[in-house]
Amino acid sequence: MTALRNYILSFADDEHLMGQQHIEWIGVAPFLEEDLAFSSIGQDELGHAVMLYELVLGIDETEPTDQAIDALAYRRPADHYRSSAFVEFGTTNWAEALVRHWIYDMVEQLRWELVATSSFEPLAIVAQRADREERFHRRHGDALLDTLLHESNTDARTRIVQALDNLAPMLGSLLEPPADEAQIIADGVASASVASLHEAAIAAIDERFGTNLDPSTGTPGDGQRLTRSEAFAPLMSRMCEVLDLDPQAAW
Amino acid sequence: MSTAQLISIDTIRAAVASVDDPEYPGLSIVDLGLVETCDVNERGEVTIELVPTFTGCPALNVIADDVTQAVAAVDGVTSTHVGWLLSPTWTTDRISDIGKAILAERFTVAVQIGPKASTCPRCGGPLTDESMFGPSRCRSVSRCNACVETIEVMRA
Repeated sequence: MTALRNYILSFADDEHLMGQQHIEWIGVAPFLEEDLAFSSIGQDELGHAVMLYELVLGIDETEPTDQAIDALAYRRPADHYRSSAFVEFGTTNWAEALVRHWIYDMVEQLRWELVATSSFEPLAIVAQRADREERFHRRHGDALLDTLLHESNTDARTRIVQALDNLAPMLGSLLEPPADEAQIIADGVASASVASLHEAAIAAIDERFGTNLDPSTGTPGDGQRLTRSEAFAPLMSRMCEVLDLDPQAAW
Repeated sequence: MSTAQLISIDTIRAAVASVDDPEYPGLSIVDLGLVETCDVNERGEVTIELVPTFTGCPALNVIADDVTQAVAAVDGVTSTHVGWLLSPTWTTDRISDIGKAILAERFTVAVQIGPKASTCPRCGGPLTDESMFGPSRCRSVSRCNACVETIEVMRA
């Protein structure tokens, strides 16, 4: 597996699983607008995942057919995925889903910026395309959190802070560099390590939530994204529930 | 003699223009601004390059299939390749005046160009944002202050 493939795959897998997690809220979000918002936001993340999986298939010299993209997205063994525990985590309530949405999109913006002027031009084009769609996500997360943190009752704030407490330690997995990232930076594919975003991410979280997190919260790991969290298998099982009924079906 | 040489690019363009957006029957994908390039060579091989409104749009396959079918039906076409481009980026200013008129008159959909607020397609009144997200990724929901109608807005 080349360093470039590994790098793009780790972003693609995060985008894919994040999109899938958002979409699980369709129909059960607390109010209609959130159903619509999470479906649209999730759809964007899946669209970004498809663009990135197509780049991976290009590196593999495989024709990027729908079947090839699906095989990459749904049919790899667990140890071939490069997703983070942050996106694999199964949220148990709406506050966690909302806080994760905000943190993920804040970090996602910074990750796209790392490759906005990538020497691997197709990745730079994808970054520019994706970043334009992302501003709606950030506006949405901010608008809702403004209301819940500043114009709502203390119960809302308590739940959000609790959700942040649960999620912040997992930030390190989202900022964990894939294997051979140094090579990627040396080649000019990315301008800096994803781990270097940690300080800015903590500062952004503190500003957003009015917290004062320990600077070591969610320090990026060094596991190279090689292992999956315990939440991965159940998530994959939910994602493939219909596909598994008839894997050969033509859709 | 090859009959393929007789295919004019205008015939191909007309075939592409006959394809409507799946969500807006009667609105051509050309008027919606999805078509970037059309090419046909002397062997009758056609290449169409399209621009998606949003990368995650679930209608992309349907649109590509419809274009392939429409072009394949043109006499002399031997093969059709339809591709989606990542660049340029689709924006609402790619929608033609005819497209805007169809959206307004048949679907009561307003079009937002850049940061400028759009107006009600029914009465021309000012719109107030209701929701950043609507029934699909490319639309938000507003309300007309004058006629109190709920209005979908195509956004950039």
